[in-house]
Amino acid sequence: MPSTPSKDELKRWVFDAIDSKSDELINLAQAILNHPEPGYREVRTAQVVSGKLAEMGIPFRSGLGLTGVRADLLGGSAGPTMALLGELDSLIVNEHPYADAATGAAHACGHHCQIGMLLGAAIGLNQPEVLSALSGRIALIAVPAEEYIEIEYRDSLRRQGKIEFLGGKPELVKLGEFDDVNLAMMIHTTSSVDEGQLCISGTNNGTVAKKIRFIGRGSHAGGSPHLGINALNAASLALTAIHYNRETFRDADTVRVHPIITKGGEAVSAVPADVRMETFVRGRTIEAIMDANRKVDRALRAGAMAVGAQVNIQTIPGYLPLTQDRRMNEIYEPNAAALVGADRVGHVSHRTGSTDMGDISQLMPAIHPYVGGATGLGHGADYLVQDYSLAVITAAKSMAATVVDLLADGANLAGQVVAEHRPEMTRAEYLKFMRSLSSEQTFEAE
Amino acid sequence: MLSRQELKQRACAAIDRHQSEIVGVARQILDNPEPGFSEFKTAQLVADKFDEMGIERRTGLALTGVKGRIAGGGPGPRVALIGELDSLIVNEHPHADAETGAAHACGHHCQIGMMLGAIRGLTQPEVLEQLCGELVPFAVPAEEFIEVARRLQLREDKKLEFMGGKQELIRLGEFDDVDLAMMCHTASDMGEQKFAVGGTSNGHVVKYVQFLGRGAHAGSAPHLGVNALNAASFALQAIHNNREVFRGEDTVRIHGIMTKGGEAVNAVPADVRLEWRVRSATPKAVVKNSTLVDRCFKAGALAVGASVKITNIPGYLPMRHDTHLQELFRQNATALVGEARTMVIPGRRNRGGSTDMGDLSHLMPVCHPYTAGAVGSGHSKEYLITDYQTAVVNPAKIMAMVVIDLLAEGGAKGQEITSSHRPAMKKATYLRFQRERAEVIEYDGAR
Repeated sequence: MPSTPSKDELKRWVFDAIDSKSDELINLAQAILNHPEPGYREVRTAQVVSGKLAEMGIPFRSGLGLTGVRADLLGGSAGPTMALLGELDSLIVNEHPYADAATGAAHACGHHCQIGMLLGAAIGLNQPEVLSALSGRIALIAVPAEEYIEIEYRDSLRRQGKIEFLGGKPELVKLGEFDDVNLAMMIHTTSSVDEGQLCISGTNNGTVAKKIRFIGRGSHAGGSPHLGINALNAASLALTAIHYNRETFRDADTVRVHPIITKGGEAVSAVPADVRMETFVRGRTIEAIMDANRKVDRALRAGAMAVGAQVNIQTIPGYLPLTQDRRMNEIYEPNAAALVGADRVGHVSHRTGSTDMGDISQLMPAIHPYVGGATGLGHGADYLVQDYSLAVITAAKSMAATVVDLLADGANLAGQVVAEHRPEMTRAEYLKFMRSLSSEQTFEAE
Repeated sequence: MLSRQELKQRACAAIDRHQSEIVGVARQILDNPEPGFSEFKTAQLVADKFDEMGIERRTGLALTGVKGRIAGGGPGPRVALIGELDSLIVNEHPHADAETGAAHACGHHCQIGMMLGAIRGLTQPEVLEQLCGELVPFAVPAEEFIEVARRLQLREDKKLEFMGGKQELIRLGEFDDVDLAMMCHTASDMGEQKFAVGGTSNGHVVKYVQFLGRGAHAGSAPHLGVNALNAASFALQAIHNNREVFRGEDTVRIHGIMTKGGEAVNAVPADVRLEWRVRSATPKAVVKNSTLVDRCFKAGALAVGASVKITNIPGYLPMRHDTHLQELFRQNATALVGEARTMVIPGRRNRGGSTDMGDLSHLMPVCHPYTAGAVGSGHSKEYLITDYQTAVVNPAKIMAMVVIDLLAEGGAKGQEITSSHRPAMKKATYLRFQRERAEVIEYDGAR
């Protein structure tokens, strides 16, 4: 009977396997870079994942939440299930050098590297001598639609009954794909040099999304403006009203309200009668989001009331604030330090963007570290991954090594993490809360 | 029996003889400006003059009004000759009261002079005995609709109901015994003209607006405050965003001032107050635009979760000149200064301002012409009377001559005008309309 391998031995085997496929993994990430697809449309990207899994002989299920793919690696004995996530979707940034000429889709947030690192971790862990030493399962999940964009399109999918939630992870939670998952992790690329090569992160804002329609009355803008009701003025005033509330947002709540106007009138010579806006309302806590959302609703109504227009406000559940499991980060950090050196491991406390990993973090212990290697502004046309070795290979190793730490030794550490973690919500509570966020109201003109 | 022409000559000669007296009265009032409903010194001066002239009079009408009665040689129409007692408040005006800032930046002091001048002319015995009817020289308070907070207090103290002098006098029945009324206002925009008749003025409603928020330390706890200044500021922007819906022919003027904008820079403003005015060419447009502006104030409260209390106060009605009376004025002006110096303003041309003479014009034939003699923009510190002959003596003569036309020869012309006039409203309708304007709207934007 062979002796039980040590964690270090397991990690060495894992790293060797990943290194042996590093060119292939980097090519795969770059292939996705060259074929960006926004959320719920990641058909080709999902095929890259399922093709690779098939090639590795790992059974998988696809079409989860329209495009998600899940494959489970079984350990040698029973234990908890740990999910490794990679996000399939791109953004839409027309000016990005790798933007799709037809759709404007572009990987301006580095998700293509996540798929590379997810499959890299799979390659590392999918070795009989590694898996047999682990207890429990590793759920490899390629998730759709992390970027909360194309609200109009996704809302149409929702109205057609194809999805319920506009973000991929909430949709997979609803579908039960996280019901058997006990812990989860993913790694996101970053271009912030302060964050080091690998970075332990803290919290993220949560958000709700809003679709707003101001309905006025069209009229000849030169000949009879007095017969019109200017919906653009209503929207413009609503934006002003939002700004008038900013002084009431607490710094600690990191509230972010940042609307865009998606339709601002039909023709200059007609009083705009149908003006549409989208906005997020983000905050550090659910309470902060709800408070700001109430103020935004009031501001929108004030804009409409000011000119006698009607306003339809649709609030759509977005993402919940991200909180990270401290124990899991404590287990992740030495692995990161071993790979890049302790002085290159960064720490950030709070980020004001939002991710649906936040939703997962409300349900189970989860971490969402960052890996460097990118330059430019996140979501900007200049966001480019420069160091694929770091952003894909090193990240994959850090993820797989953390799985080894958690699931080896009879999944002793994973058991401790799960036992110590107090989830904020059960799945049922989560779904109930998310559904309570969903509302649509029309406020009639006075 | 003297002809009308002879009567006019006698009256005008008497006015010329009293020229220094009536210009002196005007100048004395200029140097003692008092805003509406506090024109005590000015009213006393008028009462003293009436006494000196032996005119039966009543004082303290609508707080400060002075009304005289002079019977002619026989019965006939009762003609009010109106002069407005009140000043504005324009701190920088060269003749401003150092303490109160009151200043005659609209020339009302000349109106008192010209009214007394006309009476000097008409009370010449040989003139008066030829007139059939009554002269009602009437010094009226508070034409300028200012100091709204103070007047609201007077209303609360039951000292008055309406905040314009003529409105209040109508309510008190002080115009029940008047059949026609005229006055003449100074103007600075006359060019080469000496007199202008015609045109119209806006109606309006007045608003006293109070936004209530919640005070908090503006540095350390702004999230606990509700900023009433932001509410008000939003409301003003909301009003501007509506300007495109105002029709040109409605000559909409919406304007106001902030009388309180916060207590201290380091506290979130919790109590912000505005005095506002909504003017338009027709009562219907006034009502419509007043509702629009109320909506904007409510939207301001809603925008930040404050509350707002809008006290709507009946303002003035648009001016309706009686064309016959106006024509008499024009003819006499032409006789005095020549046709080339007498301007006829088209009836629909709206000067944009408002006067409570408009209210009176809905009840009886009135005219409210303009006389030159002033320079500078009305209601500004530059508004000064530079030619008292033109601003006081000339209009006194014309008013006297018009009265002679109305009441001489048995008062035939006066009776013709009064019997052919169709008032826009009866007094009861007028009071009902104005009382409907008086309302308090309370709206809680935090609900």
